[in-house]
Amino acid sequence: MATTVAAPPAAGGVTRSRPEWLERAVGQGLALLLAVVIALALGSVIIILYGENPIDVYETILRSATTAKDGPAWVLAAATPLIFSALAVSICFKGGLFNIGVEGQYLVAMTTAAWAALHLGGVLPGPLLMWGVLLFGMLGGMAYAAVPGALKVKTGAHEVVTTIMMNGIAVSLVAYALNHPLRYTNAPVGQNVDLRTNIFPANAKVPDLGHVFGFGPAPRFSWLFPIAVVAALIVWFIVKRMRLGYEARAVGASAGSAQAGGISIGSVQMKLFLISGALAGLVGMQQILVNNASTSTGGYLPQNYEATLGFTGIAVAFLGQNNPIGIVFAAIFWAALSRGESILPIETNMPREFVIILQGILIMSVVITYTLAKRRLDRRQTGRVIAEEEAIEMQQPEPPPTIQEVTA
Amino acid sequence: MSDTDGAGSGSSPPLVVLEHVTKRFPGVVANDDVSLELRAGEVHALIGENGAGKSTLMRVLYGMYPADEGRFLIRGEEVKIHSPRDAIARGIGMVHQHFVLVDPFTVAENVVLGDEGGLVLDEDGSEQKVRDLADAYGFQIDPHAVVEDLSVGEEQRVEILKALYRGVDILILDEPTAVLTPAESSDLFENLRRLRADGKSIVFISHKLDEVLEIADRITVLRRGVVVGETTPAETSKAKLAEMMVGRPVLFRLEKPQVEIGEAVLRLEDLVGGRLHQLSLEVRAGEIVGVAGVEGNGQRDLADAIMGLQPLDGGHVILEGRDLASQTTAEIRNAGVGFVPEDRHEQGLVLGMTIWENSVLGRQDDAPFVKRGVLSLRTIKELAKKLVKLFDVRARSIDVTAGALSGGNQQKLILARELETDPKLLLAAQPTRGLDVGAIEFVWREILDQKAAGRGVLLISAELDEIYALSDRILTLYEGRITGEYPPDAPPEDVGRGMLGDVAMQGTG
Amino acid sequence: MSKLGFAVSIAFTYFTIIYLTGIGGLFSERSGIVNIGLEGLMIIGTVTGSFGAYYFGAKLGWGVPAGPIMGLLLGMACGAAFASIHALATVTFKIDHIVSGVVINLVAVGLARFLSTIFFGQATQSDPGQPHLHVISIPLLSKIPQFGVAFQGLSPFVLFPFLIVFPVWWVLNRTRWGLRLRSAGENPEATRAVGVAVAPLRWEAVLLSGAFAGLSGAFLSVEIVNNWREGQTLGLGFIALAALILSNWNPVRLMGAAFLFGFAQAIPLALRDWPIIRSIPEQFVNMTPYVVTIVVLAGFIGKVRPPAAAGKAYEGTTT
Repeated sequence: MATTVAAPPAAGGVTRSRPEWLERAVGQGLALLLAVVIALALGSVIIILYGENPIDVYETILRSATTAKDGPAWVLAAATPLIFSALAVSICFKGGLFNIGVEGQYLVAMTTAAWAALHLGGVLPGPLLMWGVLLFGMLGGMAYAAVPGALKVKTGAHEVVTTIMMNGIAVSLVAYALNHPLRYTNAPVGQNVDLRTNIFPANAKVPDLGHVFGFGPAPRFSWLFPIAVVAALIVWFIVKRMRLGYEARAVGASAGSAQAGGISIGSVQMKLFLISGALAGLVGMQQILVNNASTSTGGYLPQNYEATLGFTGIAVAFLGQNNPIGIVFAAIFWAALSRGESILPIETNMPREFVIILQGILIMSVVITYTLAKRRLDRRQTGRVIAEEEAIEMQQPEPPPTIQEVTA
Repeated sequence: MSDTDGAGSGSSPPLVVLEHVTKRFPGVVANDDVSLELRAGEVHALIGENGAGKSTLMRVLYGMYPADEGRFLIRGEEVKIHSPRDAIARGIGMVHQHFVLVDPFTVAENVVLGDEGGLVLDEDGSEQKVRDLADAYGFQIDPHAVVEDLSVGEEQRVEILKALYRGVDILILDEPTAVLTPAESSDLFENLRRLRADGKSIVFISHKLDEVLEIADRITVLRRGVVVGETTPAETSKAKLAEMMVGRPVLFRLEKPQVEIGEAVLRLEDLVGGRLHQLSLEVRAGEIVGVAGVEGNGQRDLADAIMGLQPLDGGHVILEGRDLASQTTAEIRNAGVGFVPEDRHEQGLVLGMTIWENSVLGRQDDAPFVKRGVLSLRTIKELAKKLVKLFDVRARSIDVTAGALSGGNQQKLILARELETDPKLLLAAQPTRGLDVGAIEFVWREILDQKAAGRGVLLISAELDEIYALSDRILTLYEGRITGEYPPDAPPEDVGRGMLGDVAMQGTG
Repeated sequence: MSKLGFAVSIAFTYFTIIYLTGIGGLFSERSGIVNIGLEGLMIIGTVTGSFGAYYFGAKLGWGVPAGPIMGLLLGMACGAAFASIHALATVTFKIDHIVSGVVINLVAVGLARFLSTIFFGQATQSDPGQPHLHVISIPLLSKIPQFGVAFQGLSPFVLFPFLIVFPVWWVLNRTRWGLRLRSAGENPEATRAVGVAVAPLRWEAVLLSGAFAGLSGAFLSVEIVNNWREGQTLGLGFIALAALILSNWNPVRLMGAAFLFGFAQAIPLALRDWPIIRSIPEQFVNMTPYVVTIVVLAGFIGKVRPPAAAGKAYEGTTT
């Protein structure tokens, strides 16, 4: 690259007034905005093809999340597992790892948590049981994530494929658990036996938080939401302020330089998988530990557990630009869109699947604009730095050579 | 010598003319109103220091970048060149500094790629054509050989054949001797003379003034994107060329501080692993040991082995009496080794991180930068400011991403960071690669300061100028072992032979 | 023995799916673009293939099984179309290949549901009664006592991999396009330096990968299951990736690798009553394909050589 004379900056000023981090933040914010606008625009095309008015449709979705009955509660409750899931994905991603196995990790976690709920009642009295159950959930997720982690570190097996395979295995593991060790033994006589566990003791469950705000119990808004926000803050702290986060980012950005700097790549990767697994473990807790008035009772592990939260977590992580705070907002935004699914077909001509398409377009648009914006910001920063370097050189005269010349 | 005896200058019309060519990149003007003429049957050298714009100019001619201003004439006719394909079609070929060959393919496949002569490949036919072409110019090469197995000199011949296969009249060579041993360079010059006799026009981009004076018919000097002079070998000298290149008198030798040499700081005994075969050497306190060798003979493996980045199959690395076997890289660093790697992007800095984040790389386990697993941002940023100030890293703030810095500033940052830890041994591999003279001077001074402070320095470099300027003892590296030891005033031919493994296991007096 | 034969016949069908998807991945990766979105491309193939079979089932006469064939073709075309997103992201915009692949997989699931509501009026499955090609039995081989079951009752499309293995090998190694493609995957700089544009080659390769994966998915929904159902791809797109690695990106060796994984799929379906397998709880037997994949990946990663430039963004200009 040529470092040559550029025209000196006008008026002799050397520096611009905005600090670097602000430049970046503004640039990224604009990129996100652009992505959302593009997605809404493309969505509008589809809406028009259905013969509807885009404004109406978007307004309906917005209304369902905000002013409709229990809308906000539903949205925050739906966002909760997404926050855990996206945090799990993003912490691995910081280190350059793709944990697609959040699905399997939370299935196993639900199973270990169920076991704890059903068997540790004697050991952990009162409110301790709930914490114990949550802990067992996290441990289950960690243990399950340790497998692809170890494979990656010891053999280099690519975690994308191994974690997906682990997801498949997890489904069978849960099925096994529901059929044998954890099966439903307390079914009332004469009733059809579902495939599920027994009901957990009451003190294993996470208390509802909705009543504090005047929400009904139906949306399952519980203490897990604030726990999720706290988790996001903890992840932020780890990534930005702790050595592990620093090492992870170095490994993710330039493994060779990290290694030359004394960082142990394998050790960092393993730790990331474990933390990620622990977070993944909390994804399923809302399903099994929170009462939901609309589906008989909560408090047990059913056969028809919800099984797409892992993949949705990846989408939310991308939408939140892999930033813990961004993820909280992205999860809420995503849940708000999803809330529209049930209302849309009632009030408009649009099928509920339109929301899914909109979400898909949104992810693609965010990924592309964010990457392009980052590149552009990098280039501009380089340009600024070089221009300033030139300016400094112009202002300082070159030092006279103090070394004697030797004839050729 | 009849080197300047090509077609008499002035008697043949120019083959290629560049008129007022300007090329800009963000933040720099790489070529500024450059005009140049190339003639048939001539070797035209284009010289300048790193970043002068010589490669860029030729890449513009070759269609890799569009010119912002200016025009090109070929055989008197104005042409527009939009891509390498265009350039080749017009008879211009280029051999880059870093070869662009497909390793798993054969020589023939590499030569015909892009000009295969039909939808279906004709393996035997291609190989025969390549064989014929090589014979015509006296190139020694086997068309059936796989490129991965070839030596660097042979790879270069493949690159030249690629151009000849397409019938080029103008051949541009970008720093062709950077990766060759003296003997291979000789072979290359032979081949170039044959091509010149055949009427080809050759552009020889280089910063090696001795070679330029040997092979060129005419020399054009670029500095900071501008043509500062045009001359012939008869009319000039190495010193004059250097002065034109840099704009001020240039040092060729620094004053080395006189220091008493102490005990061995580093001892390597019979290292085996990767490309290393029984490598042994010693560096003592207050001494700079220069390891000279052509790239690809184990330099990277040597550095990686010392730093614990590459496992060893045998041998010992001993630092101040302590055997470093099976120590982690972090432990080795803590024991007092500073590392300036040959690839600053792959092993030196994390380009995506800021200057201050990079400042603490290598010390992220140490107090006061880290307490109980939490980073102490204030302490780290103070360190960063200190480094930037001391080493004059040119950036307006420590929040700038390392990737935005120029090569010279990146290298300064790495050097600052490593030297700040007061290492007992500094391991510097190709420390001035890609830097301009100002930065080179800076780096050399810092290395000499280490010597003055009584530290040991192991310098690995492919630039003989650098080796000669800094070393107290010169070692040559060939095929993973040390083949010779020379004093700092040894004639370059001797060192060159050592670099080829052409000697018995002891240096000349 | 006839159980084994039955298992082999099932293996053949999964072999076909894995091989075709794998070939798609092979072209893409040899050109330098990593494509982990094969699963998503297959999903698109399943839903559109199913639709094609229904829609064209009743049309056209002359004994030509229009439905299934159109289903296969439609799946192929839609797979290629969907893959253009991956091509745009990775080749033109130089997005990280894995990230783009993950996005493709995510969006495919939602898109499939959406298309399903349009095609079939319901989100997660199609109606019964989907036409398919008449099954055949391989002459001679199907007459083998006991084991001959392996060659009976197969969809004729199972022969397709055998038909294409040599042409694929030939195109890759004996044509100009193949040489340039491989060159783009090994060293895009070198390719550009001789004036060959890298981006069009990679686009072509990625579209091909979509075509093959889509075709494979259509085969699954049209011929095997005779129905579209959400989730029917069972991770086969990822298993195909593992097969590709095992085969060292070689179309001939891919046959063996695909059959191995195909057989792993067959074990829980056909060999449940075999000794040893009998005593393992059924849920664990169901894990066989996944476990086999992991074991293969863990064991073979160090021993294979992917195309040198696969996965690295080529920072040159976009030609």
